[in-house]
Amino acid sequence: MRTLQFQYHMQLTFDFPACDHHFTLRCRPFHDIRQRILEERVEIYPKHYSSEEVDSYGNKCIYGIARTEHDHFSVDVTGEAQVCAENYLPALPAHRIGMYRYQTALTKAGLGLESFYRDLRKNASANVVEHVKDLMDGLYGKFQYEPGVTGVNTTAEEAFCRGSGVCQDYAHILLALCRLERIPCRYIAGMLMGEGATHAWIEVSDGKSWIPMDPTHNRMVDDTYIAISRGRDARDCTINQGVFTGGGSQKQEIRVVVNDK
Amino acid sequence: MAIISAEHSDQLYWLGRYSERVYTTLKIFEDHFDSMIDLKTEEYEDFCRKQDIPNIYTSKDDFSRRYCFDEENPNSIYSNLMRAYDNAIVLREEIGSETLAYIQLAVYAMNRAKTSDAPLIQLQRVRDNIVAFWGIVDDSIDSESIRSIIKFGKRLERIDLYSRMRMESAEIRREMNRFNFRINRTGLRYNKRKLAHLNYLVEVNALDYETIIRELETLFELEEDK
Amino acid sequence: METERLFGYSDTVNELLARYGVKFGIYKNNVFKEQLFPFDMIPRVIEKQEFAFLEKGLKQRVLALNEFIKDIYGDKKIVRDGIVPEEFIYAGSGYLAQCEGVMPPKGIYSHISGIDLVQGKDKQWYILEDNLRIPSGASYPMIARELCRRSTPITFEKNAIEDNRNYAKLLRRTMDHVNTGGHTVILSPGRYNAAYFEHSYLAEKTGAHLVTGSELVVENDHLYFIDYSGKKEPVGAVYRRISDEYLDPMNFNEESVIGIPHIYDIYRKGNVALLNAPGNGVADDKGIYYFVPKMIQYYLGEEAVLQNAPTYLPYYKEDMDYVLEHFDSLVLKDVAEAGGYGIVFGNKLTREEKEHFLALLKEQPRRFIAQEVIDFLDIDIYENGEVTPRKADLRAFVLMADEPMVWKSGLTRFSRNPDSFIVNSSQGGGFKDTWVMAE
Repeated sequence: MRTLQFQYHMQLTFDFPACDHHFTLRCRPFHDIRQRILEERVEIYPKHYSSEEVDSYGNKCIYGIARTEHDHFSVDVTGEAQVCAENYLPALPAHRIGMYRYQTALTKAGLGLESFYRDLRKNASANVVEHVKDLMDGLYGKFQYEPGVTGVNTTAEEAFCRGSGVCQDYAHILLALCRLERIPCRYIAGMLMGEGATHAWIEVSDGKSWIPMDPTHNRMVDDTYIAISRGRDARDCTINQGVFTGGGSQKQEIRVVVNDK
Repeated sequence: MAIISAEHSDQLYWLGRYSERVYTTLKIFEDHFDSMIDLKTEEYEDFCRKQDIPNIYTSKDDFSRRYCFDEENPNSIYSNLMRAYDNAIVLREEIGSETLAYIQLAVYAMNRAKTSDAPLIQLQRVRDNIVAFWGIVDDSIDSESIRSIIKFGKRLERIDLYSRMRMESAEIRREMNRFNFRINRTGLRYNKRKLAHLNYLVEVNALDYETIIRELETLFELEEDK
Repeated sequence: METERLFGYSDTVNELLARYGVKFGIYKNNVFKEQLFPFDMIPRVIEKQEFAFLEKGLKQRVLALNEFIKDIYGDKKIVRDGIVPEEFIYAGSGYLAQCEGVMPPKGIYSHISGIDLVQGKDKQWYILEDNLRIPSGASYPMIARELCRRSTPITFEKNAIEDNRNYAKLLRRTMDHVNTGGHTVILSPGRYNAAYFEHSYLAEKTGAHLVTGSELVVENDHLYFIDYSGKKEPVGAVYRRISDEYLDPMNFNEESVIGIPHIYDIYRKGNVALLNAPGNGVADDKGIYYFVPKMIQYYLGEEAVLQNAPTYLPYYKEDMDYVLEHFDSLVLKDVAEAGGYGIVFGNKLTREEKEHFLALLKEQPRRFIAQEVIDFLDIDIYENGEVTPRKADLRAFVLMADEPMVWKSGLTRFSRNPDSFIVNSSQGGGFKDTWVMAE
């Protein structure tokens, strides 16, 4: 068990004032048996009204409108989380989580991933988690970390074929590989100890629990990770989603800080 | 109880304006057409000037055809009728199928006039349908605000057209009275100072037509609330 | 019954249809055009007894489909029990993950269902297709009936025909039943939509307000209609005639400009009813069609009253073998296509086309279904002064309020050409009234 302090800061700056800005934020860390949120403060600027709901993936969403003209939009979430890495979230039986067993537009495997998958070392007798570890290990040896070469809409296949990318791409590729075998798995967006941007990893169901794994670092997720949102792929987990009028071109800035308390 | 969105109130208003524009310009056109037959063949030049529309026509025949029927010409009677139709078609639920039908029938008549060798006769049917449309607006639309917005659009357009045609002040004053009666039944927000100014403008002896037109066109420009 | 009497009124009724703007829109070379929907005077007549049979089968089918959708976005028992293979759910385009765990007001998903049927030469009715998203077409027979009665009252005096103009009442009852409090609106993408006439006509006849997305806003977890003086009026039911994809840019296609941001969020909370519910596409897919009789059995414990056209799923090996063996006598349908597209008649392919198609079929067996070509019972139309046969289908409408209600009429569409099997109006066909006899 470990107590972490976290800060999530996102700011969108517009060239021209934006208005009628509808937003949905999946920015509140989960409060569950794996991570208990001891303290939390959420600030949104500007907002006309906001409300909350839980979406189909279990994310705590804040949605609302900023009606009047604004030249920037920002979200700050700060607080403390107590993380217990030995506790896994319970998973529903396979037939209830079918949506996590099929490819999405972003994870769909093409020829490149399919042939890579065929050549991967596989141990049929291993349990699911050991097996996914093998897949993850194979991917780690084949894919390079390189920021700025892929984007939010890059698919697993595209990223894999270029051979490098960021955490989102690692996660999408591993999801694609798992789903080729219909292993239930989901995308997690969250924060990692240190200072930087948001991070992404995956969770795999072993039939009873969701086991988190981090393909970018080729390791199991420990108590230095705080999960914020989850879904079938990165699109379901978009932390800040919005549509607005005006705005011109925009610049997004994200800063995440996680420390031991 | 009728609730009307801003979008639909706008469409009701423009339906009133365009139906009036088609009706009155047709009427004026028919008068001019008659004298163009043998009296004054260049009369259309004068007509364009008064209407404040570009004179793009090469002869009286060209004028008769294109001013009436040219789909590409935004000032043609055809185009104005199509704009009335565009506004009417989205208002079926407010004005009713029976009412909408007369605008539809006017469009069919216009299309027949276009290919007819006696267009004036078919154009008469266009006018007949517009008159019937106004009649049924009065007769069958229960909601006073819906009815009034259409009629208000029609009144405003008429003063605008009459001013452009430099009609006698008595005519314009008569239309202004009907306009005043209607405007407060619409529930629309307008610039009260401009309305008072308009009422003043129509009372003076030598009418300042240009100012009347300008004030009409900007009647909905509200001043900042103090 | 002497239908000859009707012939003389054909022009009159078609003129009246034009007068009231009974049209549908089509895009030709990217230009929007309005077209009259040709009406044929000879009605399709369904006897009282026969319709009672159809009614029973249609209610049963729609009840089972509704249970299916509820199950799929909930417990998924039908998958657990192996009745429907899960590939047919998740790999299709109709399933929407956003609908997982969302229960619509009163548990109703398919409020307005359009079930397409055909009658074979053996007089047997077959279900062709279920339309549970935004089935259109009821307005056409409704207004045609009105105009026929006006043109030839004696016909309706002499024959006991169920009045079909009650559709507006049934629809209103359906909308009111799920209304969460507030006005009822019909949400249209706008006048350049193919079915705009229908949207506006149903609004007029039901007394609902016809709106486009920009006239509605979500605030404080409720939906409002803003009137021209700026007053907010609450809305409790939205009969939306725009597809799921465009309904809400915050929850579905982000590019949509005709939707209402956050409407889905408040629907999820139960603060507004959407008719039909988003996500219904999971049940009207051509692949799922095969399983509907099994669903009826599974959820209702009853045998299906109405039969499917004999259908094979190449997904199952024995069905694939059958399809390969009898290819020339079958019609193959791409499950992802609609509106009469993606349909292949085995015997109409050239040798190369056939080879190409078979390769595709073996590669993606789940993408196709194969059906026996039904020997349609032709029905007569009156054209250029004579009576001549055409292929026709029947779209029956089932509305779900506190109970399923089958509209005692339907849209009968016929093909433009004598040898065509395709009756879709976007491909140039016409329509007929459907008379359900009261005695």
